Amino acid sequence: MATYLLRRFLLGIVTLVVITLIVYGLARNMPGNPLTVQLGESDPSRKLNPEDQRRMLEIYGLDKPWPVGYLQWVSKLVRGDLGRSITRKQPVTKLIGERIGPTVLISGTALILTWLLAIPLGLYASARSGHIDERAVGIGLYVLYSFPAFVAALFLQIIFAVWLRGTSWELPLFGMSDLPSDAAWTARAADIARHAILPVVCQTYVVLAYNSRFIKANLEEVVRQDFIRTARAKGAGPWRVLVRHAFRNTLIPLVTLLGLSLPALVGGSVIIEQIFTWPGMGRLFFESIRERDYPTIMGLTFMFSLLTLAGQLLADLLYGLVDPRVSVD
Amino acid sequence: MKPHDASSRPPSRGFWAEAWARYRSRPIGMIALAFVVLLTVVAAFAPAIAGTKPVVCRYKGRLYMPCLGYFNRRWEAPVFTKDRFRGTYPQNLKDKDPDSWAIWPLIFQDPYRRVRDNEWPGRPENPSRDEGRPNAINLFGTDQYGVDVFAKMVHGTTIALLVGFVSMGLAGSIGIIVGAIGGYFGGWVDMLTSRLTEVVMCIPTLVLILALVAVVEKPTIWKTMAIIGATGWTGIARLTRAEFLRLKESEFVMAARAAGAGPVRIMLRHILPNALAPVLVPITFGIAAAILIEGSLSFLGFGPPPPTASWGSILNSARSNLQLWWLVVFPGAGIFLTVLAYNLVGEALQEATDPRLREARK
Repeated sequence: MATYLLRRFLLGIVTLVVITLIVYGLARNMPGNPLTVQLGESDPSRKLNPEDQRRMLEIYGLDKPWPVGYLQWVSKLVRGDLGRSITRKQPVTKLIGERIGPTVLISGTALILTWLLAIPLGLYASARSGHIDERAVGIGLYVLYSFPAFVAALFLQIIFAVWLRGTSWELPLFGMSDLPSDAAWTARAADIARHAILPVVCQTYVVLAYNSRFIKANLEEVVRQDFIRTARAKGAGPWRVLVRHAFRNTLIPLVTLLGLSLPALVGGSVIIEQIFTWPGMGRLFFESIRERDYPTIMGLTFMFSLLTLAGQLLADLLYGLVDPRVSVD
Repeated sequence: MKPHDASSRPPSRGFWAEAWARYRSRPIGMIALAFVVLLTVVAAFAPAIAGTKPVVCRYKGRLYMPCLGYFNRRWEAPVFTKDRFRGTYPQNLKDKDPDSWAIWPLIFQDPYRRVRDNEWPGRPENPSRDEGRPNAINLFGTDQYGVDVFAKMVHGTTIALLVGFVSMGLAGSIGIIVGAIGGYFGGWVDMLTSRLTEVVMCIPTLVLILALVAVVEKPTIWKTMAIIGATGWTGIARLTRAEFLRLKESEFVMAARAAGAGPVRIMLRHILPNALAPVLVPITFGIAAAILIEGSLSFLGFGPPPPTASWGSILNSARSNLQLWWLVVFPGAGIFLTVLAYNLVGEALQEATDPRLREARK
């Protein structure tokens, strides 16, 4: 076990180095730099003169070639410092700390909803497999699965923010809260919840459709096995066979799926957060790319890839936990 | 074709004929395939379906096809530039050559500009802003600048199809080459290619794509396709590797090796045809994913710049004009139906080629 973990750890570090090196190289080679992109686009008269620009680049350490910059970034990272955002004049860790809450609010709710709905749906679909109602639900899920989230988001915005404007069904178009931060916390919570409904729906339905189809496919594989016939033969009822005997044996792939959804939980969705101008991690990443804010791009990339690797490791470890036949050694 | 192929008729149907027969028996798969074929037809004949340039016209004694100018500006005969047509044909043709005649596209609307007043005799200017709801002249309405949405959609079909084929063609080639090399040679080569695949897999797709798009100085639709292809090959590589690992131990490969075939020949002629069916399924799903990614990139404003008429860019223009619902409904439905069709084709293909699923159906 210890050698396995050590090997995974070392491999993970190599992977992390390669990923961050690639993204740093890409980021530094994007046309423009944080100073020119930020000031030049909004107002040409505020463009820095070349002398000031050179001086400021020197302050940020951007005057050296990018491999040197990468080494500097790594040496800071090793000391636990993700650096300061250039365009926002704040430590990157603080920015991430501010944005992580709103993202988890959306993606965490979506994740819980997904699993709460997907498991019963999957069980129902395989219990009624082949019946007309199951076919209808199956087609519905398939359609949802192919429905692009950004199109759905626009449809929902048109329905709930334009057509239902003025009714009690109206939902806010974007943002996280319209109330000032000193409003009563109950009112604020209700307001945030109203703002969160549409993003949560958009982030839930695709994964829900995928997961319940996945559960059904796994169940159908298990149901054909001999031990299910044995369970039926000993007189267990259909639900008992499905839940106690079949479903428990599909947990292994589900656990893998759960582990792999870890990065999305914290990383959020760039598109959904962008459409609903939700102040989360995905939007932060999108903005930092547009602003060429290298420290923020790198901080987020580092976090995303760390979580992806951690999710994979978690999935493999849980695999061994759920299925005693699987050994990580 | 080698001569002995023609002389020895196979007694039973080959793998692909068998798979096609099974595919044909799935109505949903066939409908989806028909939809993809329909899109291809629309893309190929886009300038004849919607445009403001004649499909065929006779001008000063010669025949021209100005509609080809929609595919490539240079294919529009230079005589029209010389005679100062400036892109408007109906009036100019009549004025400059009274004997001229022309066959017009089915819908006289332009995907790149607003049709002006009386440009088509007796028809008013396209409505703009919130007045452009769908009507008999503008089937899908007009956008805020008065450009016809139906024409934009028809001409955007080319992009939707190309994105799928070009980016997945690229991703498929990279994936198959990387997976084949790793799976066939094994050892440290496999170690290297597997690590490479893992690294690309670990970077979130949209993060990598957004970073790459930002690096490219002048984004064009071709660069977008290349980027989608260059990031979407990992799943295909892993599958190909697994297939090659399995097949390289089989007897027919040993026989080929004994007959003196080199590694490249064995990989291309002997293993690849047998590994192709399982790899084709993720490629089909990948086409759907590529169309989705292009749509979301254009939607985020990271797509190719105007006047490229991609479906995603119509949606992008709807973002700030939500009351213009027709700017959402039609391109949204277009992307959705195309993605759905490719997913259904992939599903049917999987059931037609995977022997395990075939057994399960019985």
